[in-house]
Amino acid sequence: MGLNYYHILKRVREARKLVIRGTTSAGSGHPGGSFSMAEMMGCMYYKYLRYDPKNPLWPDRDRLVLSKGHASPGLFSNLAVAGYFDKSEIESLRKFESILQGHPDYKCPGVEFCGGSLGLGLSFSIGIALAARIDDKKHHIYTIIGDGESDEGQVWEAAMAASKFKLDNITVFLDRNFIQQDDYTERVMPLDEELIGDDISEMWKNAARWKVGDKWRSFGWNVLEIDGHRIEQIVKAVNSALQTKGTPSIIVARTIKGKSVEHMEDNPKWHGVAPNPQFSPIIELEIDCQFLTAPSIIAGDMANLENEVKRAVHGRADFIHLDVMDGMFVPNKTFDHEKIRQLRPVTQIPFDGHLMINEPVKKVKNYVDAGCDIITVHAEVCDESSFGEIHDVLRSNEVSVGLAINPETELPSWAERFIPDLDQFIVMSVVPGKSGQKYIESTHEKTQKIAKFLAERKFEGLIEADGGVDLSNVESCFLDGARVFVGGSAIIEQKDVRGTIAEFRKRLMHARRKLLIHKAYSLGGTELVNKWIDLHEVGKKKLELLQIAKEAGFV
Amino acid sequence: MTEMTDMRTVYGETLIKIGEENPNVVVVGADTTDSLKTRPFGKKFPNRFFNIGIAEANLITIAAGLANEGKIPFASTYAVFLPGRCVDQIRNAIAYPSRNGQNGLNVKMVVSHGGLTVGADGGSHQQIEDIAIMRVIPNIKVLIPADAVAVEKLIRLISQVHGPFYMRMARSKTPLVHSREQEFEIGKGIILRDGSDCTIASCGITVKMALEAADSLKQEGISCKVIDLFSIKPIDASLIEKAARETGGIVTSEEHNILAGFGSAVSEVVSETYPVPMRRIGVRDQFGESARDSEISLLLQKHGITSIHIANAVKDIRSKTR
Repeated sequence: MGLNYYHILKRVREARKLVIRGTTSAGSGHPGGSFSMAEMMGCMYYKYLRYDPKNPLWPDRDRLVLSKGHASPGLFSNLAVAGYFDKSEIESLRKFESILQGHPDYKCPGVEFCGGSLGLGLSFSIGIALAARIDDKKHHIYTIIGDGESDEGQVWEAAMAASKFKLDNITVFLDRNFIQQDDYTERVMPLDEELIGDDISEMWKNAARWKVGDKWRSFGWNVLEIDGHRIEQIVKAVNSALQTKGTPSIIVARTIKGKSVEHMEDNPKWHGVAPNPQFSPIIELEIDCQFLTAPSIIAGDMANLENEVKRAVHGRADFIHLDVMDGMFVPNKTFDHEKIRQLRPVTQIPFDGHLMINEPVKKVKNYVDAGCDIITVHAEVCDESSFGEIHDVLRSNEVSVGLAINPETELPSWAERFIPDLDQFIVMSVVPGKSGQKYIESTHEKTQKIAKFLAERKFEGLIEADGGVDLSNVESCFLDGARVFVGGSAIIEQKDVRGTIAEFRKRLMHARRKLLIHKAYSLGGTELVNKWIDLHEVGKKKLELLQIAKEAGFV
Repeated sequence: MTEMTDMRTVYGETLIKIGEENPNVVVVGADTTDSLKTRPFGKKFPNRFFNIGIAEANLITIAAGLANEGKIPFASTYAVFLPGRCVDQIRNAIAYPSRNGQNGLNVKMVVSHGGLTVGADGGSHQQIEDIAIMRVIPNIKVLIPADAVAVEKLIRLISQVHGPFYMRMARSKTPLVHSREQEFEIGKGIILRDGSDCTIASCGITVKMALEAADSLKQEGISCKVIDLFSIKPIDASLIEKAARETGGIVTSEEHNILAGFGSAVSEVVSETYPVPMRRIGVRDQFGESARDSEISLLLQKHGITSIHIANAVKDIRSKTR
């Protein structure tokens, strides 16, 4: 089984946009804490929770208790995406006679706990868990608590009680976003170590400062510490929690408040403020413009691919791109599923399998079984029927579905009907076959054309730029419409993989900022551009934005 | 000699009986299970009994979670801690959640050690604000039984009626005022004596005082109607209105602050239906203090809560209204 990565990612993105739609319409609400827990909610609603939107009180459903109830937009948006009610309902958020109250309420189907008064959710979950034990029910209870919320003494009363009753049917997520209403948590009431200075990234860098996991450990809990925005880490932690018997588990998820909207990120001001409606289209575009890096390990030492995977992991890659070549579809041969199987235990980072092989339909299951999370096959060696079969095999195994075309290939007409359901689309910018080739310049134009074509046909996945992508052209690839960037020699051949990936991200961030500035200008001219720039208070974002706007002649 | 009974013992015995009849009945305690007499339930039904320790906020919220899943939790400790320690949890975790026409979660908050008669533990432990706290929270029903017969019948009753209940018992043994055949209904008062000159409406241990006051007034030729209004919320408004019409005056008695308490609840009805003069017997907005069992009558006397005070209040009303 794969991670179902894109399945989750697409819905998380949609839910984030609904949060913006809801809070903007309401004129208030809590986007920051909704976004810090967004990926956890996504993994819950689109991977783990068993539920039936048509029968919200189905007795055997898993329960998700949102204890940090002020993040209700983050819950409601996912309930909408999960099908409990129509998505347009989100615009009634916080309004008179709405089912979407300011805090989670049983008026809204799918809500498991009327949260809002902080510190109560875990105790309530214990009640649910004890009842399940009495009735010998097997459903699981997931509880999301906040770090600011952990100031409440009752959280620790509950921590003791869950441990006493050995409630292994409870898994808690601690959304550790380091910000509460007044200020950074470490200033208001330290959970880790008191923060000196303004830079909360200092808290992130040094794991020795993280104490909150130790607190829970000392209460007898199974503690798992993760990056709460990385789907694969959430999945690994939840799997581990579900397998742990005899103690409750807590997943301490380090997150970023306001994650995915730059001006909200790590800014305490966005704890409980709704965005101004004039910014919504820009923010929605920003949410659509998240990007991922996918180092291709064949650019490294083919004799020690394990090590190349490790280097990519150390470099904080989003995907591990695996170029499978069979010596037939392309002249070269790299490795097959057996190698992937050997590499799989090295990391949980999604394996982005790119099958440059003949007759993929006959072999795709091997790659599923070997542990690929995303599998992309080539249009040149598929037709409607074989791709349909591949699609079904991948979907039923929670593996994301990709389609690739070579530089000289146009999108075949049989593929059109699959577009709305595709997760990834690779526009090759070199003739596949070997690493280290130069980017074919005409691919820019081709990608732009394809991006437009796909968008018009309800494509919800991401375009992956693959072939000759490097620091010099990654920005233009982004502006073409690509969102996943395969780096072969440009990343893996470099000595400092982490530094190079960081540099890739920096360039991509620059490109995204540029795109958003242009969007702002198109919507509201210089005035809106200036207002947009002013929102970016934390860090050095503002200076770069100003520079971009000046270069474009907008200010 | 009036028969004395222990409310807590009857509570514990009744729990076992209803626990046998209904597997959904569960009990949660907070390190006072011996005192509340719920421990035998735990012996009998170990998987339906949870001692949460000295953590009342946790206790009440766990009870809410249990009720959410169809259990009927009886959450018990001393009145000073429940509601005293956990108003927010009662309000937001128990009273507020409502769906499918069911208002509030099905938690039964049954406490002991209410009022001044806690005695020796002192003013810090004498809960005289609980009626006020609990009756202003929507969806919560408030009961204060007068004796062990009422305890038994009401525990059985509230286990069968959906919704959050708060029920306060006394620490010390209390005299029986009801016959064992007495029927109880939520929201209905019980007329213990009929009379035409004045009404005495009481709850809890002061019902016995009201009866004594009525007896002594009778010897002075004053005929009093005595009502046990154990159901403070919902309150028996029609009975109160009728009593006001028939007797022209009402005295209330409670082991509670007179502010926002039982007498206030009665006066709210009277003022909106058939205004008549009223007097409220209760604690005059001050704290209690320690008193050994042998001294509790002195403590009550100091706070003006005796049958004599009740009788004087009746006479006061009558002297001012003719």
